[in-house]
Amino acid sequence: METFADEGQVKLLMHSHHTLTVVLVLLLLAASPVLHAQQDSIPTPTDDEEDYSMYDDLDFVDEKAKRFCSQKIFDQSPQRFISVMWDAQGPYDLSFSSLGSYPEDADAPVAEQGRANYTGGLRLQANIPVVSRNTIIWQLGATYWDTRYNISPTSTTESSAGLMRILGDRGLRTAGLNTTVFKPLDETQFLIFQASADLSGNYFLDDPLGLEYLRYSAAVVWGKRPHDRLQWGLGMSRTYRVGAMNYIPVVMYNYTASNRKWGTEILFPARAHYRRTFNPRSLLLAGFELEGQSHRIAELSTTANSLEIRRGELRLRLEHQRQLKGFIWLSVQAGYRYDWTFDADDLPEGREFFRGFFGDQPFAMLNELGGALYGQVGIHLVSP
Amino acid sequence: MTMHMLGKTLLLPFLLLLSLSLSGQSSDGDKLIGVWEPSHGKARVKVEKIGNKYFGKIVWLREPQDPETGEPKMDRNNPDEAMRSTPLRGYRLLKDFVYNGNGEWTEGTIYDPENGTLYSCVITLTDENTMDIRGYIGVKALGRTDVWKRLQMKGK
Repeated sequence: METFADEGQVKLLMHSHHTLTVVLVLLLLAASPVLHAQQDSIPTPTDDEEDYSMYDDLDFVDEKAKRFCSQKIFDQSPQRFISVMWDAQGPYDLSFSSLGSYPEDADAPVAEQGRANYTGGLRLQANIPVVSRNTIIWQLGATYWDTRYNISPTSTTESSAGLMRILGDRGLRTAGLNTTVFKPLDETQFLIFQASADLSGNYFLDDPLGLEYLRYSAAVVWGKRPHDRLQWGLGMSRTYRVGAMNYIPVVMYNYTASNRKWGTEILFPARAHYRRTFNPRSLLLAGFELEGQSHRIAELSTTANSLEIRRGELRLRLEHQRQLKGFIWLSVQAGYRYDWTFDADDLPEGREFFRGFFGDQPFAMLNELGGALYGQVGIHLVSP
Repeated sequence: MTMHMLGKTLLLPFLLLLSLSLSGQSSDGDKLIGVWEPSHGKARVKVEKIGNKYFGKIVWLREPQDPETGEPKMDRNNPDEAMRSTPLRGYRLLKDFVYNGNGEWTEGTIYDPENGTLYSCVITLTDENTMDIRGYIGVKALGRTDVWKRLQMKGK
C-alpha cells in the first residue's frame, strides 16, 4: 500500500532534530553529575538544646518588609526547565474535503480518505528563569514540536487538495517563544501573565515561515493563594488551543488535600487534572489537555492567502511523573486523542480573523480525524 | 640597616595589613549571622557560624504540628528513610557556607523539606537586613532566588 513520505526531507528533518536534541540532552547531562552529588549529601539535624519559644515574638528589622505568596502550592507537579519528549498516536481514519467555502455545519463532499498509520514526533521545550525573586518571577521559554505522518490513502477524487500527500511528505511543525510573569501582589494575591509567539506549518527549519505568519497567544490571570494547599484564579486568554484563534475565560484551581495524598491541577479549559501523590518524587495525573495550533500549509497558500489547518485536540490522559535522579524526572503519558478540529481557513494575506464560537465565516476545508490512542514519554530537568 | 632588619621592618606592616584584612573579611562574613525569615513566612531560620562555615537551622514554624498526626512536624519527605522521623524544628537546612570576601557566601547547600531535595546555593546580602538566597541545579542560571528578611525581638 502506498504511503506518503519523502526520504530526503525526512533525513533533513531528522538532522535538525538531532542537533536540537543533542543540545538539550547535553544541558541535561551537564547538570546531572552535580545533581547526583547533591543527593548523596543529606542534611543533618542539630544536636543542641535550645529554647525555641524565644523566636515566637520577632519582627522584621526593616519595617517596610513585606511577605509575598509563592507561585506553587504543596505537592504540585514540578515545573520543567528543559524537556525532551516523544509523542506518538496510534492508527486512525481521516477524511478531507476539497478546497471550497463551507459553513461550519455544511455537508462538505469528501475529496480524499485514508488511514494514518503513525502520527507523532519529537517535542522539545525549554523554560528558563530570567528573573526569579519573591517579588517577581519572569521566565522565557522556547518550544519545538514536530509531527510526522505516515498515511495510507484509501480513496482520492479529482477535487482533492492533496492534503494527505502534503502531510505525509512534510509533516507539521511548531516553533515558538514564550514568556511567563508571576507577580505576587501580597501574601495571598498574585497575577500571572503569559504570552507566546509561534510559527506553525509544514515548513522545515532550514526554510522557516516568515514572521508575518507568527500567531500570538496570551493569558492573564488574577488569583488568590489563601494557604499552602490552595491556589485559584480567574482570567482571560487569547488562544489557539481550539484550533482557530479564540478568546476564552480561564479558571485556575490548584489544590492539595490536607492528607497530602491527592489534589487538582486545573487551568481550565487548557487542562484539568486530578493528582495522586505517592511521595514527593512520584505522582500520577488523570485528566485532559486541549492542544492546538494554526498550521500554514505552504503548498495550498500563496502570497495573497494563507491556508491554515486549525488543529485542535482534546487529549484524555493518564500521566505518571517520577524522579529518576536528582532533578531529572521521567514522564510517561497514555490516553485517547479526540479530534476537536482539523478544519482549514483561508486567511487573506495571512491576516488572522476572529470567528469565536458564534461567528459564521466559512471554512476552506472541513476535515475529520478519527480518535486515536496515543502515548508520550519525556525526560525533564525540573525546577527547584 | 642590615638586610635582616629591613626585612623585619617591611614584613611587620604587611602582616598587620594582612591580619586587618582577614579580620575584616571575617566580620563581613559574620553579617550573615542572625535570624531570618524566608519570603513565604512559614519558617524562621537562625544563621550561625561553626568553625569557618555558616549554617542555618529552623527555629520557628508557623505550623509546628502536622495537621494529620498532631505531632511536631518531621522531615517526612527526606529520601533517606532514617531521617524521616527527625523534627523539622532544629533542622540545619543551610549548610557549609563560606564567605568568599566578595559579598557572597558560597559552597553551601539549601535543603527544601517540602520535597526532600538538596540544592546548591549561593547567598548575597543586598543590604544588611536583606538576603538573596539562590538555590540552583548545576549552573546558577537554572535556579530560583528567594529574598529573606532579618528579624529582631519585638519592640527593639
